[in-house]
Amino acid sequence: MVLYDSTALAGNSSGSSSSSSSKPPPPPLQPQQQQEIDGLLAGAGYKVRSSELRKVAQRLERLETAMVNSPADFSQLASDTIHYNPSDLASWVDSLLSEFAQPPTCPSEFVMDPVTNQTVVNDAWTTTEPNMPQVHQNISYEQQSLNNQLTVVTAMEEDSGIRLVHMLMTCAECIQRGDFPLATSFLEDMQGLLTRVNTVCGIGKVAGHFIDALGRRIFQGIGGGSINGGSAYENEILYHHFYEACPYLKFAHFTANQAILEAFDGHDCVHVVDFNLMHGLQWPALIQALALRPGGPPLLRLTGIGPPSPDGRDSLREIGLRLAELARSVNVRFAFRGVAASRLEDVKPWMLEVNPKESVAVNSIMQLHRLLGSEPNRNSPVETVLSWIRSLNPKIMTVVEQEANHNQPGFLDRFTEALHYYSTMFDSLEACTVQPDKALAEIYIQREITNVVSCEGSARVERHEPLARWRTRLSGAGFRPLHLGSNAYKQASMLLTLFSAEGYSVEENDGCLTLGWHSRPLIAASAWQALSDAPAEFPAPDTHRPS
Amino acid sequence: MVQSHHRGCHRQGNHETVGESKEKRPKFFINDHVDILIEILKRLDCRSLCVAASVCRLWCTIARNDSLWENLCFRHASPPPTSVRSVVLALGGYKRLYMGCVRPVRRRLGRARRASWAGDEVQLSLSLFCVDYYERLGGSNSNGRLVGESSPSSSLMFLCKPVNV
Repeated sequence: MVLYDSTALAGNSSGSSSSSSSKPPPPPLQPQQQQEIDGLLAGAGYKVRSSELRKVAQRLERLETAMVNSPADFSQLASDTIHYNPSDLASWVDSLLSEFAQPPTCPSEFVMDPVTNQTVVNDAWTTTEPNMPQVHQNISYEQQSLNNQLTVVTAMEEDSGIRLVHMLMTCAECIQRGDFPLATSFLEDMQGLLTRVNTVCGIGKVAGHFIDALGRRIFQGIGGGSINGGSAYENEILYHHFYEACPYLKFAHFTANQAILEAFDGHDCVHVVDFNLMHGLQWPALIQALALRPGGPPLLRLTGIGPPSPDGRDSLREIGLRLAELARSVNVRFAFRGVAASRLEDVKPWMLEVNPKESVAVNSIMQLHRLLGSEPNRNSPVETVLSWIRSLNPKIMTVVEQEANHNQPGFLDRFTEALHYYSTMFDSLEACTVQPDKALAEIYIQREITNVVSCEGSARVERHEPLARWRTRLSGAGFRPLHLGSNAYKQASMLLTLFSAEGYSVEENDGCLTLGWHSRPLIAASAWQALSDAPAEFPAPDTHRPS
Repeated sequence: MVQSHHRGCHRQGNHETVGESKEKRPKFFINDHVDILIEILKRLDCRSLCVAASVCRLWCTIARNDSLWENLCFRHASPPPTSVRSVVLALGGYKRLYMGCVRPVRRRLGRARRASWAGDEVQLSLSLFCVDYYERLGGSNSNGRLVGESSPSSSLMFLCKPVNV
């Protein structure tokens, strides 16, 4: 332990080699200079000037990195101890650094803009190879912590995450401009960066999916990455797991059921048309609620629309049989009809066999957006479908749609919106602990991402539009909104409380309910009724079933 | 209050076996009076009922009876739902409803809600129970997962905390 007094210091400095000291040799220390020495470090045996503390800290970091990265040099250095005077820390570190192959000078600053929390990347950075030591050095310049490796690593990850987002946007912008070679180089950079980010959760996971989707767009062209590549059976399985893993579909089903139940109050002959039957998970709850309603259950008919099954299994019929068995157990008179159609616009109203005496409910869970084209025109599929829905004169039409604007013509805007939306959705999925539901739910969402990002034209079916636009569209097509009511809200809140995650929120939006994660709405449920201005309730003669 | 009833019965039972069997006092053995026993067991909470089921064979049979669980499910519901019985029995019985739906729902909601909400809780539990029954109907061929007799199906997994057994 070196005592803090001039004689000891003088003695040390005279014993040191010529390479260490930065002062003129031999240095009789002036009294003023003694006062600059940092007291705490001096107590530990090191003399470092207070003004140099920051520099010494940085250099120690660099030295540590350099040692870690080239252990061969280090072991050679370890045997040469007499050259260095460790108590004069500044010069000791400098001389050690000069021994290493890595140049201690790092490229220019890696500045964090505190306002936008985005990294401003200098040209010097982009031209050098992004190898490990320099990244460490750059981060440590900002960190100023001597022994806090964990903070360094976390900061590096956060930084990389932010860089990933930045690069994703830039790549998307290149694609919009048509500059595919530059976009390809960005893609490669991003894939490299992805290896350094935690892809198990957080921004890394979502970014990975978006990078894949961009890759598809660049290399396979638009229309190559269509989600219709998966079979209907696969889609059903993924949908089921998405149902289990997070509350969005449950919220949709329960809210729609509540609205339908209230609309059917007092009616004895009811007919529900489901635009996408899947496994029919929505309907057991409705059947049970109808069974228990005061006044007894009505005669319930369910018409389920779904894609045709290719391998001979009649999946619609199987689901219908299951639902019928359930209805029989609870004593509800039930009839099921399946309509197999690969696209919703292929369905004609006569296929549904609506009896004029019964009350009709139309239920569309995330189906209407598939009918949209990119430019609104008179006879787009959605207009056709909405008009024949109107001709059925339904008592209620329940519409649940994703609350996002993924149908913008500009690619970059769409990409940005999708990035925000799906990041939020993946965040909410983190709370789910049930496997394999979580993993398969992610694949389900990933297919949506791929479709939004890498497809165009008729291949892009995930054309989500926000609630405000649906309101305009449906009002223009002759529907008036029905308020969902407090029962639906209470039920939705209760349902959410059952999910262990704290971040979900139900909001009421002018009669519609939205479910979101941390006040970002992700899915919106609304109910509509056809305006009965037309005198006839029967459909026009030419839409009748051809005899 | 009910538990002291328990102890009272047990004590009297023990008294019989320990000593004084020479005394010809009128004995009261609860197992001879099944209707009283049922009345008592009806008022127990879930945990006590499960404990009671391991006392003896008679108690076990009674505790497994669905009507006791019916009481447990709807005890706090105001107003008590009518005509639910046939539906619940068709969907799997009250014990299953309680263990699978009502108990976790009530536990999760119980901190914020009071008895006045119990009606909505019951309705929600019934709906979830129905979805559960429907998935059990699908059996193992729908998603490749075996659905056991007493284990909840996948749709109720979100209600189960991994710690609880």
